[in-house]
Amino acid sequence: MGLYDVKIISEHFGVPEAKDIEYFERKGGYRMARRAATMAPDAIQAEVKASNLRGRGGAGFPTAMKWSFVPKDAKTVYLVVNADESEPGTFKDRHILFWNPHLLFEGVLIAAVALGVKNAYIYIRGEMGREYQVLQKALDQAYAKGYFGKNIFGSGIAVDLTIYRGLGAYICGEETALLSSLEGGRGWPRLKPPFPAVKGLWGEPTIVNNVETLANLPWILEHGGKAFADLGSGRSGGLRLVSVCGHVNKPGVFELPLTVTGRQLVEEVCGGIKGGRKVKGVIPGGVSMPVLAPDELDVPFEFDALQTDTRIRECEVRPGVKFDLGGGKTLRTMAGSGGVVVMDDQTDMTQACWRIIHFFAEESCGQCTPCREGTGWLASVAHRVAFGHGKAGDVELMASIADGIAGNTICALGDAAAWPTLAFLTKYRDEFEAKVRSAAVSGAHKIGAAGHQVGVL
Amino acid sequence: MPGKQLSPHIEARIQELWPRFPEGRAGKALCLPVLYLAQEEHGFVDDEIIDAVAARLGLTAAHVSGVATFYFMIAKRKLGRFHLQICTNIGCQLLGAYDVFDRCKRRLGVVNKGTSSDGKVTLTEVECLAACGWGPVAQISENGKEVPLYFENLTAERIDAILDALEQGRVPLELGG
Repeated sequence: MGLYDVKIISEHFGVPEAKDIEYFERKGGYRMARRAATMAPDAIQAEVKASNLRGRGGAGFPTAMKWSFVPKDAKTVYLVVNADESEPGTFKDRHILFWNPHLLFEGVLIAAVALGVKNAYIYIRGEMGREYQVLQKALDQAYAKGYFGKNIFGSGIAVDLTIYRGLGAYICGEETALLSSLEGGRGWPRLKPPFPAVKGLWGEPTIVNNVETLANLPWILEHGGKAFADLGSGRSGGLRLVSVCGHVNKPGVFELPLTVTGRQLVEEVCGGIKGGRKVKGVIPGGVSMPVLAPDELDVPFEFDALQTDTRIRECEVRPGVKFDLGGGKTLRTMAGSGGVVVMDDQTDMTQACWRIIHFFAEESCGQCTPCREGTGWLASVAHRVAFGHGKAGDVELMASIADGIAGNTICALGDAAAWPTLAFLTKYRDEFEAKVRSAAVSGAHKIGAAGHQVGVL
Repeated sequence: MPGKQLSPHIEARIQELWPRFPEGRAGKALCLPVLYLAQEEHGFVDDEIIDAVAARLGLTAAHVSGVATFYFMIAKRKLGRFHLQICTNIGCQLLGAYDVFDRCKRRLGVVNKGTSSDGKVTLTEVECLAACGWGPVAQISENGKEVPLYFENLTAERIDAILDALEQGRVPLELGG
């Protein structure tokens, strides 16, 4: 069995009957939830701590540490599953929801027992109508068997799970915006602190965990936290679901060791670039994360490595001046959501960059001025550069706007627009400058053939 | 005469979901689900529906309106019978989504968010649908009700086949997955 063949979550992807509770149980499903119901919550938390499980939604925060922030004397604790997967390039949680909903439910039960949760919610992205139907049907099956409700597995413990649908807003994947939405309001992020673990849903301690994070819990309980940590690398336990899209021969969702590098991912896992062309850039974890150039692809796609490995260049606000992430820290990239976007050597990086910025401008919730105004302004400048009517100074202007947004907003959406902008400008600056120069030569001030109206330009 | 009413089906769902939320919180929490259900029945959400939702859930019309206008999936105006939503975000963009989108615009004679003159199809550019591996991707709804399928790997031929079917008055389920 090769290293790529170990599977924790994805073993039954592609098996239609895996959605059915009978199949899931025949394969050993719900045994760990049953066991959890007989365990002391502290014992479950200890296994999760030993596992080095880190959140799979984007930030990579240690799951056990997040759980530990819940006050010990809390009377009501909520668990909310973040199934609002919308980070462009990311489609791995959707596979769990569609192919293996019971695995998620089993993870929910284990976490609920560990945290003393009586009411759990799954916040599923509104656009995932197909997945919602699968999930609701599976949940009805689990309720019918008494795995949720007032007395799970006859243990005397009550756990209810409710599926709540979003209505189309990227920002609701941000955990505090998600809570605002689940409470029935606009998806507005809240200032942190207080963190949701202390003051979350309806003001009560709330743990928000990603789908993939929770789906790892049955394996951790079965094999022990240490075994999970041993599968991982450094301070990151387990394997990781990675979704790969773009110009590769074999796109898809893959469950991989954290030691796999970007180059291995593209060349070995995904069969190389289409048409035998060369790679030009790889976004490692959803479009919020800084892009990697071809000479930066030998770093493992692991949380810490992507942040610290010196083979990855630091993002700059202008040539020679490093972007300050705060506290003197610099920005290389991050593992983010596991959504990998591969771009071949024919990709127009100015247009790819514009599309990413345009997305954030569309999805800004509007609360904070730097983000609301900045992303729209940035999108319009990026658009004119990308489509041949840029002006002298536009490249510098883009960097300046991005730098003005970053770090100045309630939530990370502002950073998510700024970081990729700075990374594209740092690594493909020549291409942006050449676009502006050619616009000056041709006098082009109209939108090119590939043009796309974005409000007033 | 009273304005638009919430149907017995929606009332039944409210009764079913109400106990899932803490006391005093359910009315507001049900704002999103009820708006969605109302849209499924009426095709879109207008001021009359906002008033009905607000009255039933004990909320202000201002709150319900604020929610309805915040979320992309709630339509505030009548759409065509079919709502064709094409993703052009990066994964799909790299695989030719703008060619597909432009083809739709030309064939339907509309701009983004426009409805064809026969009222059959509204075309909307949407953000990432989390199906990036098999882009370009589309989703379709009919009279406010989603078709729970993804239409993937769109090419000129495949989008033409989809548009042909919509013009004939049917969703091409055989092309979805």
